[in-house]
Amino acid sequence: MSEFEAYRGLFVAESRENHENLVKNLLLLELGSYQNAIDEIFRSIHTLKGASASMGFSTMEHLCHTMEDVFSLIRSGAASISPDLVDLLLTCSDLIEQMLDDIESGGDSSSKNPDREIAVLRQWIEQHGGKPKENRETVAIPADAIELKEGPQLEEREGRQEFEMRITVAQECVMKDVRAMLALGNLKALGTIISVQPTLDAIEEGNFNGILQLVIESDAGEESLKTAASGTEISDVEIRVVQEQEIPAPDIIPDTIKAVDPDKKQSSQGDKTREIKNLRVDIHQLDHIMNLVEDLVINRGRLKQIAEKHKIKEMDEAIGMVDRSVSELQNQMMIIRMIPLNHIFNRLPRVVRDVAQHDNKEVEFVIEGGETELDRSVMDGLNDPLLHLIRNAVNHGIESPDARKKAGKTQKGYIRLSAHRDRDNVIIELVDDGAGINVGKVKAKAIEKGLITQEVAETITTEEVIDLIFQPGFSTADKISDISGRGVGLDVVKKSIEALKGTIRVETTLGKGSKFELLLPPTMAIVDVMIVSVNGKRLGIPISSIVEVANFRKEATHHIGKGEAILLRNEVLQILALNDLVGASDSCEILIVVQYQKRKCCIPVDVVEGKQEVVVKPLSSFIGNTRGVSGVTILGDGYIVPVLDVNTII
Amino acid sequence: MGKILIVDDTLFMRTLLKNILFSGGHTIAGEAGDGDDGVAKYKELKPDLVTMDIVMPKLNGIEALKAIKEFDPAAKIVMCTAVGQEQMVKLAIKSGAKGYIIKPFQAPKVLEEVKNVLAS
Repeated sequence: MSEFEAYRGLFVAESRENHENLVKNLLLLELGSYQNAIDEIFRSIHTLKGASASMGFSTMEHLCHTMEDVFSLIRSGAASISPDLVDLLLTCSDLIEQMLDDIESGGDSSSKNPDREIAVLRQWIEQHGGKPKENRETVAIPADAIELKEGPQLEEREGRQEFEMRITVAQECVMKDVRAMLALGNLKALGTIISVQPTLDAIEEGNFNGILQLVIESDAGEESLKTAASGTEISDVEIRVVQEQEIPAPDIIPDTIKAVDPDKKQSSQGDKTREIKNLRVDIHQLDHIMNLVEDLVINRGRLKQIAEKHKIKEMDEAIGMVDRSVSELQNQMMIIRMIPLNHIFNRLPRVVRDVAQHDNKEVEFVIEGGETELDRSVMDGLNDPLLHLIRNAVNHGIESPDARKKAGKTQKGYIRLSAHRDRDNVIIELVDDGAGINVGKVKAKAIEKGLITQEVAETITTEEVIDLIFQPGFSTADKISDISGRGVGLDVVKKSIEALKGTIRVETTLGKGSKFELLLPPTMAIVDVMIVSVNGKRLGIPISSIVEVANFRKEATHHIGKGEAILLRNEVLQILALNDLVGASDSCEILIVVQYQKRKCCIPVDVVEGKQEVVVKPLSSFIGNTRGVSGVTILGDGYIVPVLDVNTII
Repeated sequence: MGKILIVDDTLFMRTLLKNILFSGGHTIAGEAGDGDDGVAKYKELKPDLVTMDIVMPKLNGIEALKAIKEFDPAAKIVMCTAVGQEQMVKLAIKSGAKGYIIKPFQAPKVLEEVKNVLAS
């Protein structure tokens, strides 16, 4: 085992890919997409089997082997697939996943016991007339393509000698018949085989006991023939010259070879999206490099400022070069850290299936744009919220088949998860054609829970009502289900998304369905900010939330209630003075107009220093929840500057 | 000692095989992750020997073997197989494969087969 220890990480990583592919295609089988899925499953399970055998993980190998046997039968057309079988195979694939977890943490898969599943699979194999030990493969070849290299033609026979040979294949050889075929093939290249015992047909059918006797006519000489017949796992070759009169009749000439299953040519389509990812780096190493890059970015800024201050021309040039390299390095690091969304999307069809089955619902689940890439850190934080939204969509969104029928819809619900890149953001949409959100019900619930008063309920807009579902402790489901109602509400989803600097938006039409839209930055670590100062204190405002920078005309401000507002190009904007954060300032001359979703407001500042790319470091946990500040950054001149979290202050 | 092209759809198996071949003093001409790529790499790299997996995406090992044989009838190709794949190996040999090695790989057996096929 120890000699394979070095391959453990690689084994687990690649096996997980194969496991994922296995599950994905098992689910496709349920949808009735056949041949290609079967081929894919067969290939994945075959690879899992081979790899686990190589590593000596016999429990896993045993399970995979049995599953492979099942698919050999299905592939050959001898048996068909039932929903029960898919269920069983999914259970088996769960076991494989657990085994991989075990192996990843240093085990050898034997802590899981697949005996029950294997027994059921074996039973299935027997019921379907399979001989489990003889899993023939059916990757077939067109008949016309097979030809054995023929020996020299009859007319060339003159001046040749005949030899009698006896070739013994080693006892320990695993495929003796194949060795015999190889030896025969090599000899055929040197002469004409007059007779052979057993016949080639018999050998091909596996009737071979380890000893091959033949007569060959050749001008190659005894030694060459002996060398050609010897080889791996050939334990003995005897050869002698046959005298003229003792030539045996050429009764058995092995020259007709039948092709196997010419119709079952394996489909070569459908593998277009599968690529080899052959770079695997420990994520901690990447994180470390990322930290170093961040430090470089900070120090680059520092160097720039020093050069500007002292006006050293040579240094300016050198920094220009460093600047370019650092920018490139930073870009490359970003790219390396990007992972396609499929990484988490691929697990979701299984979730949809399980929830739908649990709720007795029928759901068609479509994924689009899984190749869109996101930074790993964003991806990590996205998994749970997305899972929650998907469960919600099936659980609360899609109606029961009966209810759908009554509403004049197709019995089968439809959920589409799609992702695409839109300029600086990645947008993930989850659309369902379910019942939609019942605004009245939400209002009633919010009043009941004390989130809003009756009076407020009568005046708020539909949009605001829908926002209520993101309030802590809100749930409109009549009963708590064990699938989506795990005590975590949409408020947690919203918080998680906001922690990723993303936003979540909902559109819904009663009776038609809902759309949840997540807008995420592709990467979190480095952001463009505008550095401003108020009352002598500096602040960073993310460029992504700034829509405009305008002159602050104090005479245009109006007092509305307790707050102040300003009329800017026929738009009334609330003024958000940062008095609490940096103290009041009288010398504000500039307005920074910021926007979050559809709400806009403006922040008065004294000076705009400029735009800068900075690394935002999160605040330490013991500072607690700091509304309005997403983190701090160190500027080139060493100043520590808070970065505003516009989403929470508007 | 030869220049060897490894064709297998899993990085795991390629790495395993590569290290075994290295230990036997061979050099690796290249690696390919599917049959299509295997054929392309063969034409590009002209290796002394190819180890060819059978169950692979795009072009399976047998189809790739035939494509290579068509390009270079003298190509030396060793099939990577597993117990239970006898029929496939036989098909491969009829199509011109020169040898086979069985998974899980045992280093001495792999090296012996590679040596013998290179010498043939």
